[in-house]
Amino acid sequence: MSNLQVLAKYLPYIFDGSLWSLGLVGAGLGIGFAIGVLMSLGQVYGNPLIRKIVDAYTWFFRGTPLLVQLFLFHWSVFPAIGLRTTALETSMLVLGMRSGAYQSQIFRGSIESIEEGQVLAAKALGLSFWQQSLYVVLPQALRKAVPQLSNEYSIILKDSAVCFVLGVMEIMTRTRYVTIATGIALIPYLIAGALYIALTYLGAKAFDMVYSRIRIQGLVTG
Amino acid sequence: MTAAGEVLRVENLRKRFGKEEVLKGISFKVDRGEVKVIMGPSGAGKSTLLKCIDLLIPPDEGSIWLEGVELTSPGINVNQYRRKIGFVFQEFNLFHHLTAIGNVMLGLTKVRKLPKNEARELAEEALLRVHIGRDLWDKYPAQLSGGQKQRVAIARALAMEPSIMLYDEPTSALDPQLTGEVLQVIKELAESGMTSVIVTHEVGFALEVADELMIMFDGEIIERGNPSEVIYSPESDSAKVFFKKVLRLGGVGR
Repeated sequence: MSNLQVLAKYLPYIFDGSLWSLGLVGAGLGIGFAIGVLMSLGQVYGNPLIRKIVDAYTWFFRGTPLLVQLFLFHWSVFPAIGLRTTALETSMLVLGMRSGAYQSQIFRGSIESIEEGQVLAAKALGLSFWQQSLYVVLPQALRKAVPQLSNEYSIILKDSAVCFVLGVMEIMTRTRYVTIATGIALIPYLIAGALYIALTYLGAKAFDMVYSRIRIQGLVTG
Repeated sequence: MTAAGEVLRVENLRKRFGKEEVLKGISFKVDRGEVKVIMGPSGAGKSTLLKCIDLLIPPDEGSIWLEGVELTSPGINVNQYRRKIGFVFQEFNLFHHLTAIGNVMLGLTKVRKLPKNEARELAEEALLRVHIGRDLWDKYPAQLSGGQKQRVAIARALAMEPSIMLYDEPTSALDPQLTGEVLQVIKELAESGMTSVIVTHEVGFALEVADELMIMFDGEIIERGNPSEVIYSPESDSAKVFFKKVLRLGGVGR
């Protein structure tokens, strides 16, 4: 068998990596969403202590490289608190915490863009703070945030490639294995690159679809 | 403790923003079925007064009593009492992401905890009462005219079955040709016995609906009484100047 034939045999192996990559992205976005929503509420409505904590959190996760965070949590923080995580679990959690920092900034902006009158009207009806957030502020703020979430998706997808350092079986890890097994570097990496572009494109399309479905005339301009 | 028929009592209400004292000890009471109209130049503190009554702005001093309960006493669950006060904003403040009927139903399902079908029935009733027809129920605020928006906002407050309605310049953000439909609704509600406090610049409207007219100036109530007496023969100089301007502009002079 020529090297190229071997390579062809390995192609599905690389393609299967996209499920792992998407898994990382899905977990990262999902965990990040939960963290981001809570933190943004804390940042906008919280007392000074809560705001300080949120600030410190976002500074740490936005200010240090993903690589540092992965190593730090996998080899010291998680073991220190007695959490035995697999490489995949660490990667999902770290991507999630990191994305939470970025998403909190996205949601903070969209929450602050909602007129004060919306909250006043909710208060006047007798809605509690959590009801105001859940039924008035977030439904509007999250709709406004979808285009930026789409951007966050495309960033976290490419961030997920860094998780190869822990040996998670995502696209990048598999591609490296194939280059080692076949001795061919160019084509596997081109294929990996093409896969990332395709996933970015499909993801952006998906977010566009969601956005056009939940958009409400008059809520979001344009 | 509370006089028979008294719905709202405000005692010595004070509020300052920084150095400026916006409310300088306001006191009045509103009986069941009574319609109070508050007029005065902008900056007099009328809007702050209404927002303080609903505790949307916390007052610095003084007390507010709603049907014998002191809302300003510490530790009170404000949300429980806000639902009994219907508040209509100058800028409507309809929830952008909900349809007309969705706006009216939100408080019914979340605050009054009514089942959905019951909430919908009450919302439909409230909308019909403000002459918002079936064809508009599923429209979003952005698809409604200003007058329609304000009437939906009134329905939203009304559906909570409040003890009192507070209107904060309900027609000031409307084109002149749209004010009539909103004032008509407010008048109908007042005539049906809805206890109301209305801040407005509409002199003709005040004459028609007010049981008592209060003039606010610089954080104080400087004059109060029978609306036509207050409007056509005010005692204080400030009120004279104010009505001179308003009547000339509004063309309601005699």
